[in-house]
Amino acid sequence: MSAAERAFADSGGIRLTVLGADIVQIAHLRSGAQELAGIATARGWPLPRCGGVTPAARGVALSVRPGRWLLLSAPGSPGEAAAGWQAACARSGVAVDLSSALAVVHVAGPAVREVLARGCRLDLAPEVFRPGAAAATIMAQVGVILAALPEGVLLLTPSTTARHFREWLSLSALPFGLVPQADATVALLSGDPVK
Amino acid sequence: MRGPARIAPGALTDTSRPVGFRFDGRPLEGLAGDTLASALLANGRQLIGRSFKYHRPRGIVTAGPEEPCALVDVIGPRGREPNRLATTLMLHDGLIAESQNRWPSLRFDVGALSDRLGRFLPAGFYYKTFMAPGWAWERLYEPLIRRAAGLGRLTPIVPAHADPAETVHDHADVLIIGSGAAGLAAAHRLGECGLRVILAEQDVVLGGGVLLDARWSPWRTAVCAGLAAQPTVRTLPRATVLGAYGQGVFGALEELGPLEAARHGGLRERLRIIRARRVLFATGALERHIAFPGNDVPGVMLAGAALRYLRRYGVAAGRRPAFFLNTDEAYDAVFALVAAGVDCAGVIDVRGSSLAAQRARELGIEVVAGAVIARVRGRTGVRGVHAVDVDGHRLRRLTADCLLISGGYSPATALPAQLGARLTWQEAIAAFVPDLAPSSGQVAGAARGVFGLAAAARDGDAVARAIAAQLDAAPDSGSPVSSQLALPELPADPQATPLRALWQVRAAGKAFVDLQNDVTADDVRLSAREGYEHVEHMKRFTTHGMAGDQGRIGGLLGSAVLAEARGVELAAVGVARPRPFTQPLPFAALAGGEVREHYKPRRRLPLHEWHAQAGATFVPTGLWLRPLVYAANSGWEAVLREARAVRSHVGITDVSTLGKIDVQGPDAARFLDFIYANTFSTLAVGRTRYGIMLREDGMMFDDGTTARLAADHFLVTTTTVNAVAVLEHLEFHLQSTCAPLDVLLTDVADQWAQFAVAGPRAREVLAKLAAGIDLSNQAFPFMAAAAATIAGVAGRLFRISFSGELAFELAVPASAARSVWSAVLEAGAPFGIQPYGLDALNTLRIEKGHVTGAELNGNTSADDLGMQRLLKCEGDFIGRTLAQRPGLTHEGRLQLIGVRPIDRGQRLRNGMQLVSSGAPQASLGYVTSSTPSVELEGWVGLALLAGGRRRIGERLLATSPLHEATTEIEIVSPHMLDPENRRVRS
Repeated sequence: MSAAERAFADSGGIRLTVLGADIVQIAHLRSGAQELAGIATARGWPLPRCGGVTPAARGVALSVRPGRWLLLSAPGSPGEAAAGWQAACARSGVAVDLSSALAVVHVAGPAVREVLARGCRLDLAPEVFRPGAAAATIMAQVGVILAALPEGVLLLTPSTTARHFREWLSLSALPFGLVPQADATVALLSGDPVK
Repeated sequence: MRGPARIAPGALTDTSRPVGFRFDGRPLEGLAGDTLASALLANGRQLIGRSFKYHRPRGIVTAGPEEPCALVDVIGPRGREPNRLATTLMLHDGLIAESQNRWPSLRFDVGALSDRLGRFLPAGFYYKTFMAPGWAWERLYEPLIRRAAGLGRLTPIVPAHADPAETVHDHADVLIIGSGAAGLAAAHRLGECGLRVILAEQDVVLGGGVLLDARWSPWRTAVCAGLAAQPTVRTLPRATVLGAYGQGVFGALEELGPLEAARHGGLRERLRIIRARRVLFATGALERHIAFPGNDVPGVMLAGAALRYLRRYGVAAGRRPAFFLNTDEAYDAVFALVAAGVDCAGVIDVRGSSLAAQRARELGIEVVAGAVIARVRGRTGVRGVHAVDVDGHRLRRLTADCLLISGGYSPATALPAQLGARLTWQEAIAAFVPDLAPSSGQVAGAARGVFGLAAAARDGDAVARAIAAQLDAAPDSGSPVSSQLALPELPADPQATPLRALWQVRAAGKAFVDLQNDVTADDVRLSAREGYEHVEHMKRFTTHGMAGDQGRIGGLLGSAVLAEARGVELAAVGVARPRPFTQPLPFAALAGGEVREHYKPRRRLPLHEWHAQAGATFVPTGLWLRPLVYAANSGWEAVLREARAVRSHVGITDVSTLGKIDVQGPDAARFLDFIYANTFSTLAVGRTRYGIMLREDGMMFDDGTTARLAADHFLVTTTTVNAVAVLEHLEFHLQSTCAPLDVLLTDVADQWAQFAVAGPRAREVLAKLAAGIDLSNQAFPFMAAAAATIAGVAGRLFRISFSGELAFELAVPASAARSVWSAVLEAGAPFGIQPYGLDALNTLRIEKGHVTGAELNGNTSADDLGMQRLLKCEGDFIGRTLAQRPGLTHEGRLQLIGVRPIDRGQRLRNGMQLVSSGAPQASLGYVTSSTPSVELEGWVGLALLAGGRRRIGERLLATSPLHEATTEIEIVSPHMLDPENRRVRS
C-alpha cells in the first residue's frame, strides 16, 4: 500500500480522475425550446432542468444556464458529436463544440465535500447539493461547474486554467489522502453512471 | 501539582503530564492543558510585561482573549512572533516566550522613565509638540517615539517559513456563537428540530460560564452528549467568530489542535467563512474593570478570571487576595478561593450591604462595605490596598499579594453591533444591551443582559424555539435521538442583590480606563476639554478601545468618564462602534492558500509546454503566460531575428490568447451591427472584417476581426486583454438593450488554438497543409475565411494579418494544437520558418501602425486613432451619440502618429514626453509604443500627440527625464511600413 493510499484509508480520502470527454453545448433559440428537448430525447439525451445533471445512454447532460445544456460523452472523433447535433437541431437551436474548452475532473470518496469546501462557496451538503444537482461557481479564482453524481462530483473548468485548478485541488486534498485514479472515462461517461 | 500556586486539580489540566517551557530565558514547568498565563501564575509569576506607553509593569488581568496586558513574543522555529496572548496561548513542550517592550530587562526597564514624565505626555501630546523643525518629524521624532512606545515588533517574514493557511466555507441553518448556558441550550433545541447547526466556541471546550460551577456539570455533560448524538449539529471549539458581514455571512478563525495541525502540514489556523440562514448570538458577558489609581499593578486581576484559573487549571491567583467588588456574582470567586484554602485578605464592596456580603461574613471573611480602593501599594506586584469611604476617608488598609476586582458585567455586543444592533442602556445591570432587528439575528442569555446560568439556559431555549418556528422546524419527538435528549433539571440561580455601578475612583495617581493603550481617566477628561466630546472622537484622540483587546474590559469605563466630564448620562454617550475584526488575526489566515505562486491563477496556452521546451521566456499578461521571445535573454537581437524572419520569409506565432466569441442566431448580424461601430450585416459569408467597438460613453473599447462563417453564424475575436470584458459587454447588451434579439453567445476562447503564419512564404507553407483549399489571391483573398482541414484536423482558416505581411491565421481545437503546430513547423522548415514571440509581434505591428492596449487605453476615441471613417453613418450602435461630442473629435486632441528619431542611432522609450523645446513646458503628447525597426533604419514608435495628424512632417523633442534622455524626432504617419497594404494582399 502506497503512502497516499494509506493516508486515504486513514482519513477518508478522495479519489481524483482526469477525464477526457467530448463536450457539446446545445442551446435553444427563442422558439425552439420544445423542439430541441424533443430532438435531444429522441437522440437518447433527456435534458435536465437548469441546475441539474441527468444520465443519458452515452454520457451525462447537465445545465447551469437557462436554455443551455452541456452533453458529456466518451471522446470520439473531434468535432463529430458537435456537427451531428448542429445538423439535428439547426432550426431549433445551436450546437457548439467545447471539448477542448473545458477540462473535466471526477472526484469521489468520503472527503470530497470537505475538500471542495476549501474553495467552494456553495453549500455542498448531501441533503442540499444532492446527486443530480449541478451549479456554476468560482473556486480557486476560476470558474467551475459542479455536477453531483451518485458517486462523486464532476468538475468542469476552463482548459487554460485547468492546471491551476488541479494544483489547488491536489493541495487541498493532500491532508485527506489523495489517490489519483486511472482514466475511468469509459465507466463514467459510457456506463450510465447516474441512475 | 506543578508550580507553587497550583493548589487544586484543574478541569482542563492533566497533573500526570508536565510540560517544560521557558519565559524570559528561565526554565519553568506547567501542565498539559495549561495556557501560558495559567502556567506562569502557577509558578508565582505576576510580572509579565511592560505597558505600551509608560512602560509600567503589567501582569495578567483576564483569562481569555479580552486580555489587555499579558502579551508576549513567542520564539519558534519560524522566528519571533509578537503579541501572542498568554491567556489563550496553549502551553506545549519547549515553548519559548519572552516579555515585550522592555530594555534591558523586564524588572529594570529604562523606558519606565516615561512613567515619571507622564504629566508631560498626555493623550495626543505628539500632535501638539515636535512641530519644528519640519524635517525632524519623520527623521527624528517619529522614529524615537516609535522606538519608545509599542508592544511587540514584527520581524520580516521569510516566505519559505511562512505558515500554511486555508479557508473553508461552511453552511448552516443556524449559527450559534458561544456555547455557554444559552448557546448549549439553544443548540440542543435546534438540533432536536433537525436543523443544521454550527455551534462556534472560542474556548477549547464547550461550556462558557457553565464550566465554572460544579452544580452544572451533569447538565453540561448531558447536553454535550446530546449534541454529539445529533447528526445535524457541528460543534466548533477554538473557533472565534471575528466578523458579522450581513446577509448571513460570518468570518471565524479556528485554531487547530496539535493532532489536526500535524495532519494538515503544520496548519495552525483556519479561516472559516460561515453562511447561515439564522444567527444566534450567545456571546455572554464580559467582566468590567474599574478605574482607580494602581488598577494596573501586576497582581490586579478580574475576579472572574481568578475563578477561571482556579476551576480550569487549579491555580490560585495569589496566596492572599483582596477583593474589590460591586456585584454578588463576583463573590463566586471569593467563595471558591476560600473553599480551596486560600487566605482571603478581605472584600471591599462598593455597596452598603448585599446577600453575598452577608454570606461571606458568615464564612468569616472580612467585608468592608460602602468602600472603594483609593490606592494599591506595590509597583511590580501588589503588596496591599487602601480602602476609603465615598468621601475619601480612610477606612482600612489590607495587606494582600493580589487584588481581584469586578465592576460588573457588560454583554458582549460587538458582533450584534456589526449587524446594526442598537445598544440600549439597561439600568438594572448598568450596561448596554443589543437591540437587533429579528431579521438580522437573535441574541440570548447574558449577551442580552439575562444573567444567571439557569436564566440564560431558559432564554437560549426560548429563542431557539422561536428560530425553529421561523424555519418551520419542530422537535421530532419520535426519533430515537430525541428520546435520548432528556436533560437534568437546571440548577437554580442564587438570589442576588443588584449591583451598584462604579466606574472610577477619583484619587491621586494614574487610573487606567484602557490598560493596553495606557489611556487614563485623565486622558479622557482632557479629550472632552479639547472638544473631542463624541465617544468616537474621544477614541481617536486617546486611542481608548483600540488595538488587540478592543477595549472589552474598559470600554464602558472610558464612556462613563466621558459622560461625567460632559455632564450627561452614560446612556447618551454610548460606546464606540465595533467593526470587524473583533480581535486580531494573522494576515496569513486571511490570505489563505492564495499566496505566492497561487496568488492568482495562471492561464497556460495549449502549447505552453512546447514553448517552454523551445526556450521561450514567458511574460505574464493578465492571467496568461505568453512566450515573449524564444531566447533566455531579453535583448533586442533575438526579437529582431524573429521579426526579420517574418518580413523576409515566414514565421509562426501563437495567438491563442485572443478572445473568441461564437455568435449565432437569426439576429446575429443585427446584434453585431449594434455592438460594433461598423457594419457586419453586409459582410459576406466566408469573409472577415476588422471592427471597432465603442464603450457606451463613445470612447474606443476594443478592436478585432469578425468572420461570417454562415448566414447566422459569426466568430468574433477580441484583444487578449479585453477578452472577458467584451464577452460581458456583449452579454449585458444582449440581455438588456438587445433583449428582443434571438442570439446565442458562447465563449470559445479556450476551445480554439490559433496560430498566425506570416511572411512572404506563408502561402507556400499553408498550401502543404490545407487540403483542398485554393489559397491563391483570387480564390482566398485578403480577409477571406473558411472551414478547413489543416494537417488532418478540422479547423478554420482566416487570411488576416497583424504583422503587415501576407499572413494566415489557422484555428484548430486546442487538443490538436500540438500536432498542427508541429505540422506547420515541419512544412515551413524548407522555408526557414521561425516561431516568434510577443516582442517580435509588437515590433511588426508598430512598424505597420496597428494599435493594441497601449493605444486602446480607455482615453482614446476612434477619431484619435484615425478610425473615424469606420463609424457607420446610418443605424444606431453603442457609443454613437456620445462619440459625436465635439470634445471627442476636436482637432487638438491627442492623435495617433508615428515617430522616428532624426538621429537614427538614437533610441525611443515608451512613455517619452513630446515637447517643442528643451525649456520646461506642458507635454504635447507621449510615446505609446516603440521598437527598433526591422526594415526601417533605427527606432520607430507610435505616439499620441496633440493635433498630431496636422503635425506630420514637423520635428519635436521626445524626452524622458527619468532616463535623462532627449531625442529629436520627426512626426510621421503611423503606417510606417507598406501604407498601401500591398504585402497583405500579395
